Amino acid sequence: MRDVISILSAALLFTSCEKVIELDYKGNQSRVVIEGNITNEPGPYFVKISKSIGLSESGTYPAIDNAVVVVRDDFGNSETLTRQGSGVYATNTLQGVEGRTYTLLVEAEGQSYTAQSTMPPHVPFDSIKVGEVTIGGDIEYQLIPVYKDPAVKGNNYRFVLSANDKLENQHLVQNDELRNGLVNTIRLEVNDDDLKLKPGDLITLTMQCVDANVAMFYTTLALMGDSGPGGGTTPSNPPGNISNGSLGVFSAHTVEVKSVTIP
Amino acid sequence: MYRKIVIIAIIELLILLGSTTLLLAQSKYTVSGTVKQKSSGETLIGASVVVVEKPGVGVIANTYGFYSLSLPQGSYTLLVSYVGYKQELIPVELNSNVMINIDLSDEVLLEEVVISSKRNDENLTTATMGTEVLDIQTAAKIPVVFGEKDLVKTIQLLPGVKSNGEGSNGFSVRGGATDQNLILLDEAPVYNASHMLGIFSTFNSDAIKDATIIKGNSPAQFGGRLSSVLDVKMREGNNNSYRVSGGIGLISSRLTVEGPIQKEKSSFIISGRRTYADLFARLSSDFKGIQLYFYDLNAKGNLQINSKNKLFFSGYFGKDVLAVSNFLGSKWGNSTGTLRWNSLVSSKLFSNTSFIYSDYDFNVSFKSDGNEVNYNSNIRDLNLKQDFSLYPNSKNTLHFGFNVIHHTITPTKAEGTDIVRDKKGRKALENAVYVSNSYEASDRINLDYGVRFSFYNILGGDTYHIYRDNRSVETITLDDGEVGKTYYNWEPRLSMNFIVNRTASLKMGYARNTQNLHLMSNSTGGSPTDQWIGNSYNIKPEVADQVSLGFSKNFKDNAYELNAETYYKSMKNQIDFKDGTDINTVPDIESELLFGKGRAYGLEILWKKKEGKLTGWIGYTLSKTERKINGINDGQWYNAKQDRTHDVSIVAVYELKPQWTLSGTFIYTTGNAVTFPTGKYVLNGMTMYQYGGRNADRMPATHRLDLSVTYERPARRKYQSSWSFGLYNVYGRQNPYSISFEENKKNPQKIDAVQSSLFRWVPSVTYNFNFRE
Repeated sequence: MRDVISILSAALLFTSCEKVIELDYKGNQSRVVIEGNITNEPGPYFVKISKSIGLSESGTYPAIDNAVVVVRDDFGNSETLTRQGSGVYATNTLQGVEGRTYTLLVEAEGQSYTAQSTMPPHVPFDSIKVGEVTIGGDIEYQLIPVYKDPAVKGNNYRFVLSANDKLENQHLVQNDELRNGLVNTIRLEVNDDDLKLKPGDLITLTMQCVDANVAMFYTTLALMGDSGPGGGTTPSNPPGNISNGSLGVFSAHTVEVKSVTIP
Repeated sequence: MYRKIVIIAIIELLILLGSTTLLLAQSKYTVSGTVKQKSSGETLIGASVVVVEKPGVGVIANTYGFYSLSLPQGSYTLLVSYVGYKQELIPVELNSNVMINIDLSDEVLLEEVVISSKRNDENLTTATMGTEVLDIQTAAKIPVVFGEKDLVKTIQLLPGVKSNGEGSNGFSVRGGATDQNLILLDEAPVYNASHMLGIFSTFNSDAIKDATIIKGNSPAQFGGRLSSVLDVKMREGNNNSYRVSGGIGLISSRLTVEGPIQKEKSSFIISGRRTYADLFARLSSDFKGIQLYFYDLNAKGNLQINSKNKLFFSGYFGKDVLAVSNFLGSKWGNSTGTLRWNSLVSSKLFSNTSFIYSDYDFNVSFKSDGNEVNYNSNIRDLNLKQDFSLYPNSKNTLHFGFNVIHHTITPTKAEGTDIVRDKKGRKALENAVYVSNSYEASDRINLDYGVRFSFYNILGGDTYHIYRDNRSVETITLDDGEVGKTYYNWEPRLSMNFIVNRTASLKMGYARNTQNLHLMSNSTGGSPTDQWIGNSYNIKPEVADQVSLGFSKNFKDNAYELNAETYYKSMKNQIDFKDGTDINTVPDIESELLFGKGRAYGLEILWKKKEGKLTGWIGYTLSKTERKINGINDGQWYNAKQDRTHDVSIVAVYELKPQWTLSGTFIYTTGNAVTFPTGKYVLNGMTMYQYGGRNADRMPATHRLDLSVTYERPARRKYQSSWSFGLYNVYGRQNPYSISFEENKKNPQKIDAVQSSLFRWVPSVTYNFNFRE
């Protein structure tokens, strides 16, 4: 739905033109960024802690290496993660299990941050179907992840897309709000301004079954990326699941990877 | 508070009674009738009828061209005038109530460019504030993109009215939102006033007589939106002879047929329009399989039953179609129908009864992998409106009446293969009762005051959830026919005019407006996917209070006019929704809503030159508009997206030779308030942006010059024609349409701001013709 507007405006034969402009940006308040992932695959799992920098700054993102990071689940397992350097912390014994709720505790720079995420049951990822549409003279390829949604309502899926082994900066989310309990036939809303698929391209999709909060985080990003007349929704920091004003997201999810070559 | 307003209402009734008794005592008689254009029989809205023997005594013809004056027995001369028309002196022997219909000839002055159809010094003498009338002749001379003359685009050139963006027909009035404008076509509300995502308005200028914009200080007969009323009136058609007129342009053509039904008594007009850019485009293989066009049809007829009763029917039907191969199809459009009955109950009492139907429908379907998803939303109104104009004496004109609208609103609903979704249409009644009086208190003071009592009933047939902190805490199921929550609002309106001297006047006004229907939009610019929602158990009526102060001065015998107004408006119960809400798929949008308030203030200056070879205006607006919504921007005030500090528009029409007219417009506006990223970070291998305060940044300023030249070929007996050549964006400024941020291809650490622009140098050619019997 969200790209209907982009299609509409593209079709309107606009003499649209683009140029890079210089803007004055407001000062940025550097904030802690926490990225945590627990999956159903064998560990170790990583939590990465860094800080944001100003938009026009270059150089590396400051890493926080003196934090205390604890992950525990609702079955009484708990461990303190080991510092790996460059802001990365790793688990040692913890094993991600479907249905369990994980809690992340971080003490960094005198502040504490907490987050919670529940790993949904794994939904098998069968294959990637490649659809073709002719728009004007061009052939556009559509990617349809094939999986059977379970009968219980409330499933959310996030897809991570790589084209020719390059990670694409796109936020792709699906849910069962419309068609619960059925085999998916809906295409991913890939922004084709950034990615023009052509025959021979190797597409890799990682399907993650995520909880509702994580899905909301990525849906917000997807809506902001929308471009249409007057732009998409007003951008903002997406509502993450980490407390105390940290950026980022903590996600417990299942993982399954499929690849396909565009015919 | 309520008691106070009730008292005002009582006082009003007393005035009414008072004037009636006065009448009995002095044995006054009434002269009344309709003012029309001689050649076509079109009624002249706002024509002035003045009594020569009694300076200061006069009346303005109402929206149906009707006037009524009550005077003591005697002989009088009526001076009837309307700008651009030859004025008439009509002798009247008033020994009994008489009816005199007046035809004004426009033949002498037709060629003169008319900038305002109002009486020359009406800006000084009426109490109305924040009001501008634009007639179609004005709009016709002003250059627009693609050469399609457009009333809505012309209105956006007035101070206080701001376009939503290039190519957009959405507009913001005095800091209000796009959905806060009541757009009426022959009294029928139009819910989506644009075609092709806003490049064209739904108003086919060939079928339009004029348009009035009232910026918040509307008389009590209007209500239902916070910011403005755009009242568009369709032409009635020529009641003397048959005519065919039309225009052929680069991407669209128009054709109009009009003529008498009963000669000099009744007439009809049918006007149609279609774009055909896609037909040409399809010849090129690049656009194979793409369908993109709109068409619309206006029809109006009137029938004079007898000298006291007249029936009008007007209808509008428009549709936009967009389809891409077999995978996307969409259609949307408005239809409206109005049946009106004008009746002279007595020489002092004029009645108009309207039955109105209005419908807006949006449908888009996607096909993928053999399955189809359809999104559909719809709003349908049945509307009964009764207005009375009472002319008790020459000092007072009373308007009173009521309005009942039955809404059926179906929010966006997904349907299609395997989709089970049960969203119902919600029904509601929107009602209002009003009374207002225009009172000439003295030679120097005119007052317009009134009150509108509006109430909104939620009707049964659906289930409503009450949310607290975005969690459903209570569920209310209303059966069909059951009446749910009712919201009441009193809306007092007052405006006052003080004539300082023959060329200057001071005005002040206060108005409260309420709004019961609200537009949910995911995009900042407005799109056909936006959906309306009515009041509910969570959504309360929006309320705006506006005070304004104005000064008008005319120069050189009314050849120049200066109007300045300042306003302050506060808005309650403003609505937004949580970040990340996809309004089209969320099960109940009400769970995602956020509420707050708004404020807007500004200064508007309009300098007009109304006579001579060079006519036009300069408008300037200095303004501010902000919102404070719980859950957005940490609950602090922030700029509304339509906040623009400066806004300048210059419109000039120059008559080079009798056949050649040159015209140009220049606009400059501060960029919209937007949110740019302030920082960046990396998450799961992707670069992300960090944002600071909402709408704390500005798009670059927009400015543009458009020119056009019109050549009118000398009339050949029955055939008249003209050529218009236009160039939009003469100096090819790349005005900002949107800005996106991306990593520089060579240096990924650098973030580029990429601005995209729409139109540069759009030429246009239009051929217009007019053939009369």
